Amino acid sequence: MAEWLEVPLQYHTERKIIHVDMDAFYASVEIREHPELKNKAVVIAHDPRKNHGHGVVTTANYVARRYGVHSAMPAAQALKLIPSNELVFVPPHFDLYRQVSNQVHQIFHQVTEMIEPISLDEAFLDVTHNKKQEPNTIKLAKWIQQQIFKETHLTCSLGISYNKFLAKVASDHNKPIGRTIIRPEQALVFLHDLPIEQFFGVGKKTQAVLHDLNIYTGGDLIKVPQMTLIRRFNKMGFIMYQHARGVDDSPVQGQRKRRSIGKERTYSPEIQAEERVKRQLQLISQLVAEELAKKQLHGRVLVLKMRNSDFVTTTKRQSVDQYLNEAEQIFKIAWQLWQTYGDLADGIRLLGVTVTDLYPQSFENIDLPLFEQ
Amino acid sequence: MKFTIDRLNFIRQFNNVLRAVPSKTAIQILTGIKFDLTEAGLKLTGSDADISIETMLPVTDEALKLQIESTGSIIITARFFSEIVKKLPEETFTFEVKDNLQVTLTSGKSEFTVIGFDANSYPHLPEVSDASQLEFSADLLRGLINPTVLAVSAQESRPILTGVHFLINADGLLAVATDSHRLAQRKLDLPNVEGNYDFVIPGKSLTELARMLADYQDDVQLKITDNQVLFTFGQTQFYSRLLEGNYPDTTRLIPTDSTTTIQIDASTLLASVERASLLSHESRNNVVRLQVNPAENMATLSSNSPDVGNVEEELSLSSLVGNELDISFNPDYLKDALRAFGSTEIKLSFTTNLRPFTLVPSEDAEHYIQLITPVRTF
Repeated sequence: MAEWLEVPLQYHTERKIIHVDMDAFYASVEIREHPELKNKAVVIAHDPRKNHGHGVVTTANYVARRYGVHSAMPAAQALKLIPSNELVFVPPHFDLYRQVSNQVHQIFHQVTEMIEPISLDEAFLDVTHNKKQEPNTIKLAKWIQQQIFKETHLTCSLGISYNKFLAKVASDHNKPIGRTIIRPEQALVFLHDLPIEQFFGVGKKTQAVLHDLNIYTGGDLIKVPQMTLIRRFNKMGFIMYQHARGVDDSPVQGQRKRRSIGKERTYSPEIQAEERVKRQLQLISQLVAEELAKKQLHGRVLVLKMRNSDFVTTTKRQSVDQYLNEAEQIFKIAWQLWQTYGDLADGIRLLGVTVTDLYPQSFENIDLPLFEQ
Repeated sequence: MKFTIDRLNFIRQFNNVLRAVPSKTAIQILTGIKFDLTEAGLKLTGSDADISIETMLPVTDEALKLQIESTGSIIITARFFSEIVKKLPEETFTFEVKDNLQVTLTSGKSEFTVIGFDANSYPHLPEVSDASQLEFSADLLRGLINPTVLAVSAQESRPILTGVHFLINADGLLAVATDSHRLAQRKLDLPNVEGNYDFVIPGKSLTELARMLADYQDDVQLKITDNQVLFTFGQTQFYSRLLEGNYPDTTRLIPTDSTTTIQIDASTLLASVERASLLSHESRNNVVRLQVNPAENMATLSSNSPDVGNVEEELSLSSLVGNELDISFNPDYLKDALRAFGSTEIKLSFTTNLRPFTLVPSEDAEHYIQLITPVRTF
């Protein structure tokens, strides 16, 4: 069916993007620290047997993955899937992972300053112009991979392409210790058989809707008219349309801007008295203000988070005309929100205050000294 | 209770009372307007607890064509009622309260039945009998309200700043409003005033009052008590609550000297600032920059938005005296101030780029001043 309006796509294939994905990062770090774990099924999670059955799998090594264990799975399920003589639960040591991640980033910085970290174990690098003056991206990728191994004894998988979406598809293609390049002329072939759930932004919900429309692969997706996708999925629909055609112009963004600064506190026993809510909101507002001052930011939206003893969480937001950065202003709005929406009937076990819509403080409207003597 | 009345003249009066009626309120009964019908005429009352308006539609007013068959009282949900009366077909309509607070409205062949509420459930308006009394012409009152109320604060964080401060004594009358980024002050010489008055009227009350007075030419009586003010004009009584608390001393904030002054026609400057603010509004800091260059007898206004572009224009000045200056400010404050001046020549006085600057009419610097604080950029 012909569509009455279609936004034309522009192909930009001159960029060189590398996606670096550390192989089973947390598990690999733990094995490096404890070599005796090497042939065990290592699951990074609190042991559910010692933790009242709670716990979620953060990462699993490749031995554990063979039993069908994957991240975000309840740890109790790993217990059922893996024979107990092979299974080892290791509680996560994030400080250590962060330290190793920094080490890896040092290597990235030798190549480019255009680094976009996704998480501790994943990052995009734009190496179109790189510090090593190396025009051959495959050579560059190989150097990064080897250097990471040399310095950390950890392996990673790399994807190389002309945009972020394809670079990530590429790094997923061959793991562990893989290195995959998708050239512009290969993009459509690669995407044709790619399962729809591996497209960016396609979660469980979208996946179900797409399956209902008989869309299972990139090849199915490319047949769907642009406006159909946009009407169905709005902005995300247009992104899917572009990705199906190997188009993704999103830049590799250095340090991502902080979108919000918030602090929260949990209370046990729960708060029962309004006066205590007031004092706590004053305290939390003070902490938020200090953090804003430290980062030289201010924002125009305040979010108050409240959780009662039944773990029912409510958030209420308020936009203001003037940028918020002082504890007193922040508390005032938080307190107003509490007075309008707060409910002590079930006790309060958590309070949180967040300032969002943040911008650097680069200007200040001077105040008349009305209340100073 | 039953009466017949001219529809359009009724609506005009009803809509004035409707100004006080809140669209949303915690007190349900306040979404209604109270009708009190006596042999003297129909009294309408509306209130949002901050503002209360009472208007009498006297039987003696021939334009109203008010015919009273039987007296009584009732409350009618205001906004809905207004919509109905607007759409009734004939020149007049008849209003009759039947059993169970049912009200029928008949006009020509159309008949509505709406539910009323017991008039006894309406709050009593405050008594202001023992108050001090003042009298102003409507014209003078408009001239006090409109140029000052624009500077009241919209933020509830300092409630006292949401009002206009009035100071009346032997020196005359002073009306001041400020939101801490700008200030507007009007001064009047009042002969024959006895006593001292110091009160703060909410900006919202004054805005509504000024609208009601827009076409009124006679005198307005003011009665002031500790916590409220009553304006009486024509057949209408307008009550407002006064704001509690001490208004800050603002006289010390107005600069007495300057190092750079420019004179320019207010409407010419307004047009320039409006153009510049097209771009400042697209930028997140909403700042316009004024550069004054005495050596070349020139002042330029500029603004830029990183996402859109920039603007720069030379101002058509009448005069320029003093030092070089480079100052940034929120153009919306300047626009509000300039609109209040209308088309007259004004004088802008500056000291440094971090100190407030003032605007006064070139002809009469004594009685009206607007002050704006700059924006510091870094």
